Amino acid sequence: MKFIKKHYFEILLVLPLSAYILGFTILPIIKTILLSFHDKSTGALGFSTYQYLFSKKDFNMAIINTVAVTLVGLTFQLITGLFIAMSLKTDFKGKGLVRSLVLLPMGVPTLVSGVTLLYIFGTQGYLNELLFKLGIITKPIAWTSGGIKNIFVIAIADSWKVLPIVVLLLLAGLESIPSDVYEASAIDGASKSQTFFNITLPLLKPSITMTIILRAVDSFRIFELPKILAGRVTPFLATYAYDEYAYNNANASAAASTILLMIIVIFMILYFKFVDKGGVEYGK
Amino acid sequence: MASRKIYKKLLFYLGIILIILFMTIPVYILFRVSFAVPEDVLTSHPKFFITRFEFKHWQQVFNSGNLWPPLYKSFIVATFTMIFALVISAPASYAISRFDKKIKYAVILSLFFTRMFPNVGIALPISVTFLKWNLTDKNIGLIMAHLIEQLPFIAWILVSTFETIPFDLEEAASIDGAGRIKTLLKVVLPVAAPGLAVAAMFTWLNSWNEFTYALYLSLSTKTLPLQIYYYVLRGGFFQQAAYSTILTIPVLIITFALQRYIRSDYLGGAIKG
Repeated sequence: MKFIKKHYFEILLVLPLSAYILGFTILPIIKTILLSFHDKSTGALGFSTYQYLFSKKDFNMAIINTVAVTLVGLTFQLITGLFIAMSLKTDFKGKGLVRSLVLLPMGVPTLVSGVTLLYIFGTQGYLNELLFKLGIITKPIAWTSGGIKNIFVIAIADSWKVLPIVVLLLLAGLESIPSDVYEASAIDGASKSQTFFNITLPLLKPSITMTIILRAVDSFRIFELPKILAGRVTPFLATYAYDEYAYNNANASAAASTILLMIIVIFMILYFKFVDKGGVEYGK
Repeated sequence: MASRKIYKKLLFYLGIILIILFMTIPVYILFRVSFAVPEDVLTSHPKFFITRFEFKHWQQVFNSGNLWPPLYKSFIVATFTMIFALVISAPASYAISRFDKKIKYAVILSLFFTRMFPNVGIALPISVTFLKWNLTDKNIGLIMAHLIEQLPFIAWILVSTFETIPFDLEEAASIDGAGRIKTLLKVVLPVAAPGLAVAAMFTWLNSWNEFTYALYLSLSTKTLPLQIYYYVLRGGFFQQAAYSTILTIPVLIITFALQRYIRSDYLGGAIKG
């Protein structure tokens, strides 16, 4: 009681936000998890919805595709992002312009980036035309017709959209490394690659952790890009959950969402247990 | 030795040029297609460079009557989402920023975790509930759904905004005899105003672009992103490009106007766009 009396003003300020999150985020998530354990026709508690899901080929494909697109996308984003961030840290002519141009995809909605990449990866798209002009192919390739090619297309589309964020996160990390560390390593005669692997990478670890977590979670939940670029031929967990919902099968949709949530939670636990024993640093 | 240095420099610039091409070409192609003459792009050998313009698709888009209702809906929903998000989140973020360090960290982390929930998992029960409450297809329903994502997002940004305002400022005001609400409105709010404005604009953009909840909560009405999706499904080659361009323009302008405000702690809230 004393606590409430002393802090009534703060509690009053925080209350609406907490109530909204509780009512419209936490409660729905619990509802979804509960729904997934109820049988569709009888309503009995049990795993029948999950049995149904795992018996479907599309759903198993969705899990594999979701994990695959995250692995491929994240690897590409980290390597390219690190290269861009390191080049933006050096001084060269036209750096300001390059920085602005690199940030360009940030000003393009995700949905729209899907549409533009449709023009590039379409069967009559610009990539096929480029390859044709270069004499690499003679017949157009159907990039978005499913399978492994489609995973790559979506990973590239996702990377294009998020590279600015990855670059900015890594650049902030690079800029927080004090320059005297580099001076000291130069005096000790370290080569460029030695400096990179022994100084830059370890000191950049908090930023890399932040990037991987933010990106992996977003990538597991990928929804808009596959909806535009893959249709139903390449299912992902989120789009699969939507499809089940659209077929009026709420229980299966809930179960697919629950599995997606599980994957995110397991990923976070594994990551913090084995890769990074620190924590997410706020405000890095 | 000297030639090797030049060689290295050339390689570096080549890398930069490749990256710039990778980042800019998709945007160029979008604008290019929206103005293209059909024979130039609707072939198996689309032309890359613009040699002639055609405004026919744009005229069709403006005259078809399919543009204004979704544009209006998107605008209204984004604007009210922004206002409600500010009104609900700003006071809370202020209080959180004045919390004890440990509690603050815990609150921020839990805000962060609510952003990790899969939105299809939230959208499912929300759409079932909103159908019961007769909120499907209503602007207010979509605004309420957008707040689910935008409240933690804006709170995350605003906590760091309020943190930068020194507590001494408030103490001085209270010594002068101002009450807590008066201090908040007259002292803290004006100092925080620029930060609030930036956060509000990003919230507006997120809601303007939002697709998932709109898809779950719309049966007969459309927002602008849904309209684009509709043309993707129908294969409206030029409409896709034109509507996408319309959706992109405000995003592009606001993002570049606010470029210098995009700090890495904002990205913690992940500006998805």
